[in-house]
Amino acid sequence: MSTPVLETENLVKVYGRGPAQFHALKGLTFEIHRGESVAIVGKSGSGKSTLMHLLALLDEPTSGVVALDGRPVSKLKPKTVSALRNETFGFVFQQFFLNPNQTVLENVTLPLKIAGVSKSERDKRGMDALEQLKMADKAKNKATDLSGGQKQRVCIARALINNPEVLFADEPTGNLDSATSETVEDILLNLQRDHGITLVVVTHDEDLASKCQRRLIMQDGEIVDEQVGVKDSASHKAPVTAGHSGPATRRRRRILPFGKGAAR
Amino acid sequence: MKSLDVTKSALSNTLRSKLRTALTVIAIVIGAFTLTLTSGLGAGINQTVDRIFGGFGEDDAIYVVPQVEADAQEQDGPAEYDPDAGAEVDSGFGTGMLSAEDVETIEGLDHVVGVDTEVAAQIEYVEAPEGGQYQAQFDFALNDVLAEFAAGGAPDRSAMEITIPEDWLEIYGTDNPDEVLGETLIVAAPNAVGQTSDVEVEVVGVTQGTLAGVGFTPIPSVALAEEVADINAEGFEGQMPEAYIMASAEIENLEQNEEAVKEALADEGLWGLTVEDQIAMFEAVIDAITWILSGFALIALLAASFGIVNTLLMSVQERTREIGLMKALGMSRAKVFSLFSMEAVMIGIMGSVVGIGLGLATGFVTDGFLTAEDGPLGGFAELSLFGLDPLAIGGIFLLIILIAFLAGTLPAARAAKKDPIEALRYE
Repeated sequence: MSTPVLETENLVKVYGRGPAQFHALKGLTFEIHRGESVAIVGKSGSGKSTLMHLLALLDEPTSGVVALDGRPVSKLKPKTVSALRNETFGFVFQQFFLNPNQTVLENVTLPLKIAGVSKSERDKRGMDALEQLKMADKAKNKATDLSGGQKQRVCIARALINNPEVLFADEPTGNLDSATSETVEDILLNLQRDHGITLVVVTHDEDLASKCQRRLIMQDGEIVDEQVGVKDSASHKAPVTAGHSGPATRRRRRILPFGKGAAR
Repeated sequence: MKSLDVTKSALSNTLRSKLRTALTVIAIVIGAFTLTLTSGLGAGINQTVDRIFGGFGEDDAIYVVPQVEADAQEQDGPAEYDPDAGAEVDSGFGTGMLSAEDVETIEGLDHVVGVDTEVAAQIEYVEAPEGGQYQAQFDFALNDVLAEFAAGGAPDRSAMEITIPEDWLEIYGTDNPDEVLGETLIVAAPNAVGQTSDVEVEVVGVTQGTLAGVGFTPIPSVALAEEVADINAEGFEGQMPEAYIMASAEIENLEQNEEAVKEALADEGLWGLTVEDQIAMFEAVIDAITWILSGFALIALLAASFGIVNTLLMSVQERTREIGLMKALGMSRAKVFSLFSMEAVMIGIMGSVVGIGLGLATGFVTDGFLTAEDGPLGGFAELSLFGLDPLAIGGIFLLIILIAFLAGTLPAARAAKKDPIEALRYE
């Protein structure tokens, strides 16, 4: 079995001090394997966004360890962590965060610009990424001139441009209508299936969650349930947000021996 | 992120809200413009001084005046009475004049090969050969070396010769300075009892007024000045003390012996100055004025720097999301900092380029207008009020960029500190 691309051990995040203390995460231990698609599901306030921030190295845990490719990252310098994020991760946000003053191509190539790639190389790879998402004809448009679905495709192109190992998607369909959501979900899962990119999705969207290979269901800072296997969303709506009481679930274990998705 | 990309991004970011950037830049422009004008003014006048005195580099004289005057201003309380010093004090004391003994002392110093003296010569009027009497005062005879000549040259110190200023040409009814060379002028000198005696002299030069104040009145030869002084003394009851305004000591090998002679003069209570020293004193005054004016320009720049702080703080606030995104996508704090301080530098560059350009254009155009032949200041020979000093312009440019950078550090640090999670939180 290969090393998990991301793993955590006893991950704790506490906000505030003293009586106002809030335990956002209460000691999470799990692994995410290479090439896997994982949905982190839960109500708002369950700690799912906090967990994603820790996994994506945007925040530091109060205690516990996050390891990337088997290497604990908490001891790394901020500059190294920044570089790791730039090289290893791709981000898709609910609010897109596209720069309205720049063209689609400039938005897409931002991670490469930060990485210090030359302009010609950036533009070439940017066009490739846009091509892949069928957005090449919009390359010269301003980002504001696009529809929601198009914006999210640009966002995905930006997330893909540095060939990331892990793609983090925070409510990627939260701002989209259902038809557009479907398209974006398919794009994300195709990337995971066909290109071996590890996909970590934080979502409310049952449809999207059910298409992932594994679902971590969170409540009050703990993973209360874990569901494995892709569900057929059309026929069977999984009660993902309340799934912890469902029958076909396993209690979380310290180490989850889930390796099939990582075989790629 | 590459430096080139940082610079390009910073430039395009500053151009994003054009009006705001323009207003901030204007404040810098005002500072840069003023600094350019003041430093150009100082450079122009100093260049004029250099040009005017430049021709006298081989002059090997030290000008000697009594030291009492200079000391009087620097003294702290009354000087102790010194009986030995008192013995040397003579009729010249306190009047700022050199006595005959002083002149002998100077003649006796090492390296001094000759001494010319400047006497106080009073004249009643001058008279042209064709008639017409004009009120007049002599310039110092020893100033002959400092004069600018439109025609002819300095009077021979031992002959009865004189130069006249350019605007006196009308006495001879001509515009051409060359035509009056060789003409005669009658100098009427009064004696102690009020009678006048005439001295006939030859005009050998026509002078233009210079910034040093030389050449606006006739310059007599040393011999003429002495002759007039003798007439002034006629009929004086009792012994008239010999007194000289200043003396010019000719020094052998001035460069090597300058310090030695000056020290020897100082020991005798005398003060020696070369032409170069006089230029240096003049330039020091100009420089001081330039610095004071530049101080005001610096205050303008200081005010402008707060404009930069303000503009960039607003910009950081507005672009919180964008900063958060860049940090999430792996931009380091140092790069975020350099991106925003580079924006400040861009504002500084725009402001200084425009300000310096406007300042230079205004300076040269105004200078050309004022010092044109028929302009308000056209009477001064070789005067230029505005000069290009590349070193000063470069210095101003760098100074403004430095100020802009420093002003940008606060907003840039704030941008660098932003937490990507906070910045990207949806509201």
